[in-house]
Amino acid sequence: MDQLVEYIEYILTPSKAVFIVGTLIVFLVPIIVHILVTRATPYTNLPSVVLVGPPGAGKTSLLTLLERGDAAIDTHTSQVPQSIELTVSADQHLSFREAVKDDAPGEHKKFLLVDTPGHGKLRNFAMDSLVAREGLKGIVFMLDAATLDENLAATANYLYEVLLALQKRVSKTKTSKTPSVINVLIAANKSDLFTALPSTLVKSNLEAELGRIRKSRSKGLLASGVGIDDVDNEENDDWLGEFGSEKFTFGQMQEFNLEVDIVGGSVTEAKVDKWWHWVSERL
Amino acid sequence: MLDTFEILTTSGVVLWSRSYAQVSPSIINNFITDVFIEEKGGAIAGARNDQSAAQNPPYRADQHTLKWTFVKELGIIFVAVYRSLLHLSWVDKLVDNLKTIFVDLYGDQLKKPNTTLVHCHKFDGYFDQQLRELESATATKGAPAPTFALETDEAISGNLGDEPPLPPGLKHRNAKAQDGAHDLPSTVESTPIATPTSSRPSTPGGAHLVVGKGGPMSKMSRRARKMQKSPSAPMSSGDESSARKKKAPKKGRKWDADGFADEEDDVQLDYSAAKSDSEIEGRSTAVDSVDSATWGVKTTKGQFVLRDLDDEVHDILASAQSKPSTTSNSGLLGSGLNTINSLFRNVVGGKTLTKEDLAKPMDGMKEHLIKKNVAPEAAVRLRDSVEKELLGVKTDSFESIDTRIKKAMEVCLTKMLTPTSSLDLLRDIELVTRPSGFSTQKARPYVMSIVGVNGVGKSTNLSKICYFLLQNKMKVLVVAGDTFRSGAVEQLKVHVRNLKELTEREGGQVEIFEKGYGGDAATVARDAVRSATSEGYDVVLIDTAGRRHNDQRLMSNLEKFAKLANPDKILMVGEALVGNDSVMQARNFNASFGQGRTLDGFIISKCDTVGDMVGTLVSIVHATNVPVLFVGVGQHYSDIRNFSVRWAVEKLLNSN
Repeated sequence: MDQLVEYIEYILTPSKAVFIVGTLIVFLVPIIVHILVTRATPYTNLPSVVLVGPPGAGKTSLLTLLERGDAAIDTHTSQVPQSIELTVSADQHLSFREAVKDDAPGEHKKFLLVDTPGHGKLRNFAMDSLVAREGLKGIVFMLDAATLDENLAATANYLYEVLLALQKRVSKTKTSKTPSVINVLIAANKSDLFTALPSTLVKSNLEAELGRIRKSRSKGLLASGVGIDDVDNEENDDWLGEFGSEKFTFGQMQEFNLEVDIVGGSVTEAKVDKWWHWVSERL
Repeated sequence: MLDTFEILTTSGVVLWSRSYAQVSPSIINNFITDVFIEEKGGAIAGARNDQSAAQNPPYRADQHTLKWTFVKELGIIFVAVYRSLLHLSWVDKLVDNLKTIFVDLYGDQLKKPNTTLVHCHKFDGYFDQQLRELESATATKGAPAPTFALETDEAISGNLGDEPPLPPGLKHRNAKAQDGAHDLPSTVESTPIATPTSSRPSTPGGAHLVVGKGGPMSKMSRRARKMQKSPSAPMSSGDESSARKKKAPKKGRKWDADGFADEEDDVQLDYSAAKSDSEIEGRSTAVDSVDSATWGVKTTKGQFVLRDLDDEVHDILASAQSKPSTTSNSGLLGSGLNTINSLFRNVVGGKTLTKEDLAKPMDGMKEHLIKKNVAPEAAVRLRDSVEKELLGVKTDSFESIDTRIKKAMEVCLTKMLTPTSSLDLLRDIELVTRPSGFSTQKARPYVMSIVGVNGVGKSTNLSKICYFLLQNKMKVLVVAGDTFRSGAVEQLKVHVRNLKELTEREGGQVEIFEKGYGGDAATVARDAVRSATSEGYDVVLIDTAGRRHNDQRLMSNLEKFAKLANPDKILMVGEALVGNDSVMQARNFNASFGQGRTLDGFIISKCDTVGDMVGTLVSIVHATNVPVLFVGVGQHYSDIRNFSVRWAVEKLLNSN
């Protein structure tokens, strides 16, 4: 007890040592707290690339391939989004195999690759991140080129939603400043399979189907909650691309600062170099 | 025998798998979609976090049975797949034990953000050990043939039963069957963990422990025992020092190989020992002490190392079992600080939610939903799944529990109401009536029929849909399938006459097909489809008589109707006004079309009369997993709308 009293008395009496320690605490504590806090949330400002697409297209497989660098591992239906941190070289073209290594040459840029679930019920996350995500640099829309014939309608529908969301995002921000170009890569996966369509055919099929969807949507019913007065409102306009045009082409999206590229590849055979280059060029 | 065992994350990455027979990946994919995403089958999908595999209902598909368990904090699912013909009673235990081991060993790696890499190829050894142990345990227990048969029989009935928890008597037997499995951990548990060497002789099969660096006291007795029991190995027993010399370089070589994955048996086993050395650092002290034992036996052959793996595994399992009891609060001061801290966190955020925190606001949320006309059954399910989602979650800074719950409820409702596939009626019709060049199908009219309880607005909604189709310049045939209620045919005739006048200029074309009263509705529908095919109609809309959903006599007609008319879409009209009955209505109608045919969608009528109380939407989707296509919002032909999920969720969560 006596010791405690002595100790308190010592602290409360002004002396050189007490002052020095006190000042140190006053100056160091904020710095330490700042370091701790910033370390806890380090991944906020990295640029990101979002993987979207129908289920079974190979999104998660591509993610694992790019992360591991050698081969994709088995995957199943995703339920939650997953992001991984990847590095690209800033000054030279590196294949994804080299970029994975720690000792890859050149300057590095880190970015997040975000995988989203493709299941119909779980697309909210993908759609939300397209609209609201900070630092969104590109979107990779994956599709299964081998079964595109059967799944054309479903795939194109999702693509329509994605492009429409991006188009709205661009038209919304029109007032303040010219928005940056958003790049969309349509990655036609599974080119290793016999039935896979080449990317030119994928493109023409998708364009035709998107055109048809656009047409039927314009004739469709209004969504519940939309009043009669809002009909002419631009926000509720579901027309994708150049208004009134007869045919839909991906080129029309340039009006909305959207660049769409279609490139084929295969995750199973690790032929994803073109996609990787596309990503590294856009960052 | 097991077909496949997989450990996968909720983000879809397979972390570890072992396959004994080819299993189509679609089985596990379907399992994930059905159980986790669409939550089919079980009305209550919640509360399954960290549950043992025995309590989770097994999933059956295509001759396979899947036993599974799920750890929510880490987002990993453990699945064992085996043939349904085999009744493997030990699979539950295997899944549970492996879960415990895996979480213990690799939990830290799984918590890392922004990576899917988990270095767990060393898990092979643990898996083999568990599999062998559990298999042999059941085999020895089941050696007397008659009792074994009895046990498996009971196990079958338990497995096939609808209720996941087994009856108590059976549980007891199962436990007995796995006595062997229990025995080993219990011995480890009972002996002081700090002296693992003393516990080793008590484990069965300890006879062949050739331990070079064991304690000097036990060494004597062991050597003596070994001399007795293994006379077939004169070499090693004769000159021990030379044997040790031989093994010393071997050890070095193995160490090299161990650094990287290798499938060869010996190496792999040794590997696990080496791994336990490097891996266990920073784990509990209890495991550390076992680790030193693993050290001592590292130079011996694969089998001997395995014994140590046993010890380690049992240790992990035992410590996991004893864990719940050790988490006690540390005195008065500790609990006081905890309370202050939690009060503080309530305001500032960053609070980890527990069941107690959630109980009250969750009940409030349930009440709120019931006030919005959601059936209690559906409200309870939503509450449970939100609770499941939130348990153990940290709130964001300056976020109260209520806002967090509201957010989670929004996500949950959106997930529930969002359809699995796109519902563009016009595209569907176009695909059927004008098939593309490659497809083998011939053009035919698109057939839709509308069913429902009396007075919900079947004919009205049929006319609304008809008006919408006519505006899109289609040729529509309306079929008067209500051959029962007087005035029904006339009513439809009036509708068709009105529609004709309204759409004359638009270019649509509509006719009525009627056979008067008293005929069989199913035959009328079939005839109508035939004549529509020959006359080149685009769409056939079939009205049906209203029927009470619990009247078996009337409902049984629907099966024949579905068979003869074979509609592309069967839509059910439900009133927004109806309360709790909506669940049973939807369920009974959904089940009435015979095997393999269900409803394709709902039309919710009279939405304009209920204001915000659109809970019926949730109730019926909860009951059937069938999406809502349209909502009726007024008296005019044009007052039909596509269903918008966002609109519904907003209304439901709106709190005034």
